[in-house]
Amino acid sequence: MSDNKNVLLHPHLSVQHEEALSLASRRAFLRRAVLAGTASLIPTALCAQPPRGKPDYSLEIAETEWALSPKKRIRVAAYNGQVPGPLLRLTEGRPVTVSITNRLRHEEVVHWHGQWIPSEVDGSMEEGTPAIAPGASTSIRFTPRPFGLHWYHTHVAAHRDFSLGLYSGQFGVLLVEPRQNPAPWDGEQFLVLRDWEPYFVSSDDGSEMVDYAAASINGRMLGHGEPIQVRPGQRMLFQILNASATQTHWLALPGHRFQVLALDGRPVPTQATVEYLRLGPAERVTALVTMNAPGVWVLGEPRANFRNAGMGIVVEYANRTGEPQHPRDSALRWDYSAFAHDTPATRKPDVTMPLVFTSRFEGHGALDRWMINGKSFPETDPVRLTYGLRYRLQFINRSTDPHPVHLHRHAFELVSLQGRPTSGIMKDVVIVEPNTTTEVDLVADNPGNTLFHCHQQDHMDSGFMDLFRYA
Amino acid sequence: MKIAVLSLALFAVPLALAQGNYEIQVYGSETQAPRSTMVELHSNYTAVGQKYFIDGVSPTNHAEHETIEITQGLTPWAEVGFYIFTSERSGNGVQWVGDHIRPRVRVPPGWRWPVGVSVSMEMGYQRAFFSADTWTWEIRPIVDKSVGRWYFAVNPALERTWHGPDVNQGVGFSPAVKISYDFTKQISGGVEYYADYGSLTHIASLHDQQQQIFPAIDLNVSPKWEINFGVGVGPTAATDHWIVKGILGRRFDWSDLGRQH
Repeated sequence: MSDNKNVLLHPHLSVQHEEALSLASRRAFLRRAVLAGTASLIPTALCAQPPRGKPDYSLEIAETEWALSPKKRIRVAAYNGQVPGPLLRLTEGRPVTVSITNRLRHEEVVHWHGQWIPSEVDGSMEEGTPAIAPGASTSIRFTPRPFGLHWYHTHVAAHRDFSLGLYSGQFGVLLVEPRQNPAPWDGEQFLVLRDWEPYFVSSDDGSEMVDYAAASINGRMLGHGEPIQVRPGQRMLFQILNASATQTHWLALPGHRFQVLALDGRPVPTQATVEYLRLGPAERVTALVTMNAPGVWVLGEPRANFRNAGMGIVVEYANRTGEPQHPRDSALRWDYSAFAHDTPATRKPDVTMPLVFTSRFEGHGALDRWMINGKSFPETDPVRLTYGLRYRLQFINRSTDPHPVHLHRHAFELVSLQGRPTSGIMKDVVIVEPNTTTEVDLVADNPGNTLFHCHQQDHMDSGFMDLFRYA
Repeated sequence: MKIAVLSLALFAVPLALAQGNYEIQVYGSETQAPRSTMVELHSNYTAVGQKYFIDGVSPTNHAEHETIEITQGLTPWAEVGFYIFTSERSGNGVQWVGDHIRPRVRVPPGWRWPVGVSVSMEMGYQRAFFSADTWTWEIRPIVDKSVGRWYFAVNPALERTWHGPDVNQGVGFSPAVKISYDFTKQISGGVEYYADYGSLTHIASLHDQQQQIFPAIDLNVSPKWEINFGVGVGPTAATDHWIVKGILGRRFDWSDLGRQH
């Protein structure tokens, strides 16, 4: 299963050897061509370019039947007939051409989540990316930036149609490798968390919410995927993506701890070691685990209801057998600031911009209407950015829901979490806890329309979006 | 729902309900989540009801009925409820009336049916001083649907007496319906309708049917609390004419991790 690829996490950390990549059948579908052309060395070279020649990768969007387990088969729209879609390994700064064919009966678009690329190819129709008509094909060309663990996924609205948007199977891992890889790891494992078979239920606070009947890691329910095979003493790099449409997930591996190296693909200043990982929708964690507890374990949700739905994967040490031991259902803790600098951010912003999140009740049999500064998209007031300025965005959550808010085409620095100053963590998704304020600093350095939204499909469909425009 | 009986024997109609107005509620299809318990107190006061003993059954007029209902979630689609019925009336003091047990299953929401569906079975005992039919059984299909701010529920319940005067009556039909509207996130108001049409094979005349209409309010102040209040009017001769009802419920979640973000 080795791909012999090197992944730089930051100047001192990388992957030299990859094995046990268990994204199902990826080789059968991943079309890897010789990467052509000379990489641009400067960010200003990032712009939409007309495709030329043979594409480096091809994605076909079509309905497929997928077996989460032998007894649980689902029919979903997916990339290249697999769930998740093929792992795309790109190289930072080296232009790539991707052809996309839409075999569905509605318009589609592919968003390159976490990439600092032009609006025309970013994959959001709200930003101006052209939709791919039913039956049509297109080719896009962009220069990947930045390196790290990212992903690609559909970016169409779903509303109450669970065959659309992030409820479908249209998602895959996008790994952008740095141009140099100085440091070794023993193995690399990708984990894509996902919930399936959504339905509406009444939430605790009275409005409708989305719940799920099944869950998977790498497209298989717990007990039905290939176990991760490890050896004692091995240092495993876990590249973890929560591709759920709406659900935050926790992960634990009994007897082991996670040394967090990167969040949303960006290296963290403090590589703290934790027992649990928390990932909101669209969040990514890159973590190192030293395999020093021989046995057979379940790497999965510590919460039994999610694990019983399928959120887990078996980790099997060499020459060990027996019933897998699952994580215990105990108090869960997660604090972004554990991975931050010790000192608060010192740079003052040029502009401070409050963004207040509220909801309007629409009935117990309906989804809430979500608003930013009192308005729902597309009626929201566009945010005007000036190139080069530093903006302090105040995410003021005046609702009882947590919101994993995402900014396209940029990363931001966390500078305050619930009133506590912090610094050094760069992300493109952050969970804003209920009735709290999170502040982030954004440097406006990538001109073009930029979408900001809650990454919960039901929230973004209900108005939780805004468009940032450069002056 | 079990509404009061105004001595149907008075009208020489072979129709009676085993349970009095101890629990007045139209069921929704949702069941209690596993590892959670709902404790409800049903308080029903009959302002104008039956004033005389009929066949040894205590009158309902000015009776205060307090019912404790404890419902335990078993699985995401099953629960079991247990009732303790009591009655207080001048001259009688507080009296234990009886107990019922009520298992219930629902169509799992993961099946994505267009409406919520569940079915309960309730069985148990009530003392003959309060109900001529002492041992009874009820099967209650439950269908409901929320559409925006509107909520609709129907409970076409079927009842059977195991021990008592109506043991030969066959299966009785006792439908209940609720329609409500969400005025705000916290306040919903609507109408609840309860009836007993008598035996399925011998539907009673309108005069002898039980019919009650409750304008009612639901307060959704917290996911831990359930509050319902209503005033019922019984227009037929066989029904208690005025009843004031209230439900106060408290949910206890034994799985504090279940909803953790």
